[in-house]
Amino acid sequence: MENLIGGFITVFQPATLAYCFIGVFLGTVVGILPGLGPLTTIALLLPITYKMDVTSALIMLSGIYYGVAYGGTVTSVLMRIPGEASSVVTCLDGYEMARKGRAGAALGIAAFGSFFAGTVGVLAISYLSPPLSRWVLAFGPAEYSMVMLAGIALVTYFTNGSKLKALLMAAFGLLLGTVGSDPQTGSARLTFGVFHLIGGIDLVPLAIGLFGISEVLSMALTKPEKMKVLPPPSTLLGFLPNREEARRSVAPVVRGTVMGFLVGLIPGGGAVLATFISYATERKLSKHPEEFGKGAVEGLAGPEAANNAGTAGAFVPLLCMGVPANAITALLLGAFMIHGVAPGPTIMERQPEIFWGIVASMYVGNIMLLVLNLPLIGLFVRVLDVPRAWLASIILMVCLVGVYSTNSAPMDVLLAVMFGVTGYVLRRFGYDLGIVILAYVLGGIFERSVRRALAISDGDLAIFVSTPLSMAFAAITVVLVIIAFIPRRKAVSAAMKPAVSEAGP
Amino acid sequence: MMMSGARWTALGLLLAAVATFWQAQSLPRWSFDGPGTGIFPLVLSGIAIALSVLVLITERRTPDAPAGTDDSTDDSEAVARYDKAGPVERRVFHIYLLALALLVAGSWWAGFIVTALVVTIVIMRFAEGVGWRSTLITAVTVALVGQLGFGWLLQVSLPEGPADRALRDLLRAGGLL
Repeated sequence: MENLIGGFITVFQPATLAYCFIGVFLGTVVGILPGLGPLTTIALLLPITYKMDVTSALIMLSGIYYGVAYGGTVTSVLMRIPGEASSVVTCLDGYEMARKGRAGAALGIAAFGSFFAGTVGVLAISYLSPPLSRWVLAFGPAEYSMVMLAGIALVTYFTNGSKLKALLMAAFGLLLGTVGSDPQTGSARLTFGVFHLIGGIDLVPLAIGLFGISEVLSMALTKPEKMKVLPPPSTLLGFLPNREEARRSVAPVVRGTVMGFLVGLIPGGGAVLATFISYATERKLSKHPEEFGKGAVEGLAGPEAANNAGTAGAFVPLLCMGVPANAITALLLGAFMIHGVAPGPTIMERQPEIFWGIVASMYVGNIMLLVLNLPLIGLFVRVLDVPRAWLASIILMVCLVGVYSTNSAPMDVLLAVMFGVTGYVLRRFGYDLGIVILAYVLGGIFERSVRRALAISDGDLAIFVSTPLSMAFAAITVVLVIIAFIPRRKAVSAAMKPAVSEAGP
Repeated sequence: MMMSGARWTALGLLLAAVATFWQAQSLPRWSFDGPGTGIFPLVLSGIAIALSVLVLITERRTPDAPAGTDDSTDDSEAVARYDKAGPVERRVFHIYLLALALLVAGSWWAGFIVTALVVTIVIMRFAEGVGWRSTLITAVTVALVGQLGFGWLLQVSLPEGPADRALRDLLRAGGLL
């Protein structure tokens, strides 16, 4: 409790509070803009945080992540366009409620549900993290290697597309992390004679290229269209649900919060999966399943809560184990490392002000988001009016600033553009680039753990299955990899597509 | 036989994996104190080769196979497709590629201000067809905000060219630096 109070003292410093606000504000805007996701934004802003105080920088970047969950709701409800993947389910019933003249109630339920779930999620982080960290401290290098391997396997398992391609991207992500000087011996490897690569491939050019530049290229091929937006309520009272709507949303919000948090803890789970599971559960439990897709309050309230709780849940493995649950938390892990902070079981002892500062900032950020979202929705929707010509030019310039400033090297700009073009091609042919970032960030830690374990065992691979824990994680990995080789029926996407089409045009 | 873009992509990944494997082979696999520099890249590139071959085999064979017969992810549907774009969009796409090339060249030789001006003009005027007045106002604003906001206020390192040095000299002469 004392630590949490210390965290609040950190957050209530004027500068930190301002950065927390900037983070959640940007997160909301990014969540509203289709295409420009949290990964791109965090990648773009990462270099700008170099000169910032480490706690403020990490609070701002975290704020972007959980702010996106709020912002994505707005376009889902008012336009049936998910600003973010985790808002896809909200389109189904949220937009239908808006079409029936209940846009305000839909946004209100989503905002209050998200606030509740976000706050409960942060409370759970506060109470779960200390015991979890103590448990993780007992891990040896073999256990840690297997945890990371299982984490990568889980992320590839939960990818929407080909598991084989996901595994291939994981292998390339890990390989990209090995380019440059070997951290143990200092000798250069996989540089292909390019002097600049001796220092390795930096996270910023890689992330900005794969997400920022590839997104700009994708934007260039899209026909610019004026989007149709249903009007949001003009007064704050218009956001309040009626008694019946409020009654129907309570239980789904509670269920969505619990489910979302638990799914968020699983690597690869995260907010997207949480929303789909919550939607399916609410539909199953409902006495009127026929209303789903036609404006059912439960179909909006549950997934919205699950979305925010899932986002909070994903912070637990990141902060306590140093293992990211998805690509966004992987990028956050990269940000931590760039700022010289190593998240993991020891962070609470070594840098408690950072850990508890981030946790406390989530409480404050959730309140900010609630206050921001309802009165400013009209303003946020206008962000969608920014024409592509301006947006693309600005994004490219921010890319240039971000990439160049990493090492003051034009070579990094070239690398970012190369990754951007490659990223566009890979995305076009169904490769999940989030896994590349996740594997890249984990690569260094994973390699160190594997080599340490092998050094201890003198090359005996049995060390990786020498304890029940490492054996369990090894078994999970093997099962998931075997599943990847089984020819796939498009079960998940097929199940979701009719649901999405049910909402109608 | 004509090869689909999906297969070309898989082949590209296979070649990258083979090149990496070839480089990793020359690295020591084991040293006196345990695993060497090369063991991790060697194993990984071996895995990448095997997976690339599998993807190459399982990838659809023709460019026009019906949707749903391949393994493309939802992300492949989220990204705009070159082969389905009209001539106008393709033209815009090509100009954006040119803008990226100019971005690289500019960061090497021209400095931030000139690069920002050129890239913004290429995108706004030539790709998007925005009028000259709006284009020039935006280009100058982007260049100055970038240089003054990031370079001067936030002290972020930016590519330096004659225009950047001239602006800095101007600020220095005005007592602002």
